[in-house]
Amino acid sequence: MNQLLRTDFLGIEVKSPLVLPAGIMDMSYSGMAIAARNGAGMVTSKSFTLEARTGHKGPVVAECEGGILNCMGLCNPGIKEGLREVEQFRKNCETPVIVSVFATSSQDFITLTEHVNNSPADFLELNLSCPNVYDEFGIPLAASPGQVSSIVRAVKSIAQMPVIAKLSPNTPDILPIARAAEDAGADALCLINTLGPGMLIDIRMVRPVLYNKFGGLSGPCLKPVALRLIYQVCCEVRIPVIGTGGVQCGEDAIEMLMAGASLVGVGTAVYIRGIEVFSAINREIAVFMKERNYRNLAEIPKLKDHLDRMVQDNEE
Amino acid sequence: MQKSPSLKIILTEWYRIMKSKRLILPINRIVRECRDVNTYFFSHQLEAKPGQFVMVTDYEGGEKPFSLADSTTAEFAITVKRVGQFTSRLFQKKAGEYLALRGPYGSSFFICPHRVLLVGGGYGTPPLYFLTRKLLEAGSEVIVVNGARSGDDLIFCEKFRALEVNYHNITQSGCLDRKGTAVDLARELMNTIKFDFIYAAGPEPMLKALQEIVKDTEYQFLMERYMKCAIGICGSCTMDPLGIRLCVEGPVLSRLQIEQLSEFGHYHRDATGARIYFNNGQGFHD
Ligand SMILES: Cc1cc2nc3c(=O)[nH]c(=O)nc-3n(C[C@H](O)[C@H](O)[C@H](O)COP(=O)(O)OP(=O)(O)OC[C@H]3O[C@@H](n4cnc5c(N)ncnc54)[C@H](O)[C@@H]3O)c2cc1C
Ligand SMILES: Cc1cc2nc3c(=O)[nH]c(=O)nc-3n(C[C@H](O)[C@H](O)[C@H](O)COP(=O)(O)O)c2cc1C
Ligand code: FES
Repeated sequence: MNQLLRTDFLGIEVKSPLVLPAGIMDMSYSGMAIAARNGAGMVTSKSFTLEARTGHKGPVVAECEGGILNCMGLCNPGIKEGLREVEQFRKNCETPVIVSVFATSSQDFITLTEHVNNSPADFLELNLSCPNVYDEFGIPLAASPGQVSSIVRAVKSIAQMPVIAKLSPNTPDILPIARAAEDAGADALCLINTLGPGMLIDIRMVRPVLYNKFGGLSGPCLKPVALRLIYQVCCEVRIPVIGTGGVQCGEDAIEMLMAGASLVGVGTAVYIRGIEVFSAINREIAVFMKERNYRNLAEIPKLKDHLDRMVQDNEE
Repeated sequence: MQKSPSLKIILTEWYRIMKSKRLILPINRIVRECRDVNTYFFSHQLEAKPGQFVMVTDYEGGEKPFSLADSTTAEFAITVKRVGQFTSRLFQKKAGEYLALRGPYGSSFFICPHRVLLVGGGYGTPPLYFLTRKLLEAGSEVIVVNGARSGDDLIFCEKFRALEVNYHNITQSGCLDRKGTAVDLARELMNTIKFDFIYAAGPEPMLKALQEIVKDTEYQFLMERYMKCAIGICGSCTMDPLGIRLCVEGPVLSRLQIEQLSEFGHYHRDATGARIYFNNGQGFHD
């Protein structure tokens, strides 16, 4: 195991800063386990809802330049079945696991939290930001600081593990929302969920490619937006951030860390570089660190601190 | 600035991905195989290997995986059994109507140029036809067992008979030459002939029963799991406990992999990801 990459997240030791984000290869315990075996330091479950959901009809994914669109529609077997997979994951694998949950009201989030309290989850992630269920549930909760605040507060009052709020990029100003989550007691943030939603048109058949018409954008094209949001948020809040969005190689992961992220999510890159993407990125981060003589992840400079120092130096 | 090696790999990968674009093709012709099974032909050079599959949609709701029943420089084909909403809609399509396809996806069969046994049940038989053609090109000696519930359900007989293979039918109703399951006949053949490789495709209870009687011959099975993305990210099709994504590492799996899959013959997952247990013995040839 590579000592360079070892780090600590909210008191739990992880062997790599890479995280398998919610919705990627995580419908079953074995999908999460294969990511862990391939080098992910932490894995996230699919976002579970109270009841099982089949998700949208296909096509649910479509490739586009620089990324993919998806409208999975939160398919999941429901919290009870889902947590059984998490339990089995724990029996097979020691890697820390985040359980992601989705609901539309504080009450449902509380019920979900009660279930997760009785599970081996190390962290609870609140998916406040799925862009693929607008028709059903309306604008995501993460668009409103008030909603984010009341849900995080309600969940925090009973959660027995650290709580991560997953926020959306699809808002004109993320700062009030990030602050609301922090003030309500969130232990960490996960930024960002998919962008958009976007759409693609089949010009020969004159139809939207996705059956749901619209889908969230992920993959490399997302990275600049993710970096900007993570940088902005990390300048403002003190809680750690899992930086997710478009990371596909070691350089991308370093960018996320410099923007201020503590851990780095790697999702769509699994499609681009295969399941070996985690070990490959781990290796690439380590190579960069050795080149630069960074002895641990904390020595990788944060852009904000670096810029602040430059200003100070100029003043002196 | 010099491009880092990782970036180079990624750029080549993107090139590969951009090539696997969506194909919008008219159905060239439709061949009725039996009451509930049709074959759809498309005039397009797909460059696919036996065992691979395509995702098919008509944009009316649903995008579903179908194995390639054949693929040549001029055309490719899928054979579809009518089982539910999507496949019933395909049965209403006429030649000339368009479908959107993506692929080919997944792993393919190893081509063993010696004496091989192919065991097909139900709509598992068509991909074995494509495989047979490739095996014959490689000089293999091919013995085929084609199983069905009844003579009415038996498909691809004529197509196999037109090839240089040792071909056997078997039905559970016994209305044709033989009565029994494809596995019964495979057992008999294995008792008298030494095979270098065994290939099978069909319902999982059939594959499981076959696995139980194979002694030390290497084999590959074409398997099925619920598929949504077909590009290895959604996790719908993963198999326990290896976490094999059947759409990427499969659908053709080898003996070494199958023997480690505790869920094989035991359960699969539905569209929500919930486990559905196989009702043992049922659905042998469906
Ligand atoms: C790799 C692979 C190759 C296949 N090849 C063929 C083939 O050559 N010919 C053929 O007729 N069928 C094939 N199938 C099965 C085919 O995809 C299903 O029969 C079809 O999706 C049924 O859709 P439906 O709406 O008509 O039926 P539904 O009523 O939706 O379902 C009927 C049954 O089909 C299966 N099914 C439904 N949706 C999917 C899905 N998205 N992925 C996998 N299974 C599903 C389920 O087991 C379900 O119980 C293949 C499946 C896989 C995974
Ligand atoms: C197919 C797919 C399914 C996803 N499902 C979820 C989900 O259930 N819950 C969630 O919070 N995010 C979900 N996401 C968003 C990812 O977790 C991640 O935030 C996003 O894809 C950006 O990262 P990436 O560019 O590395 O993929 C999903 C993304 C994809 C591509
Ligand atoms: S169908 Fe999505 S991972 Fe295989």
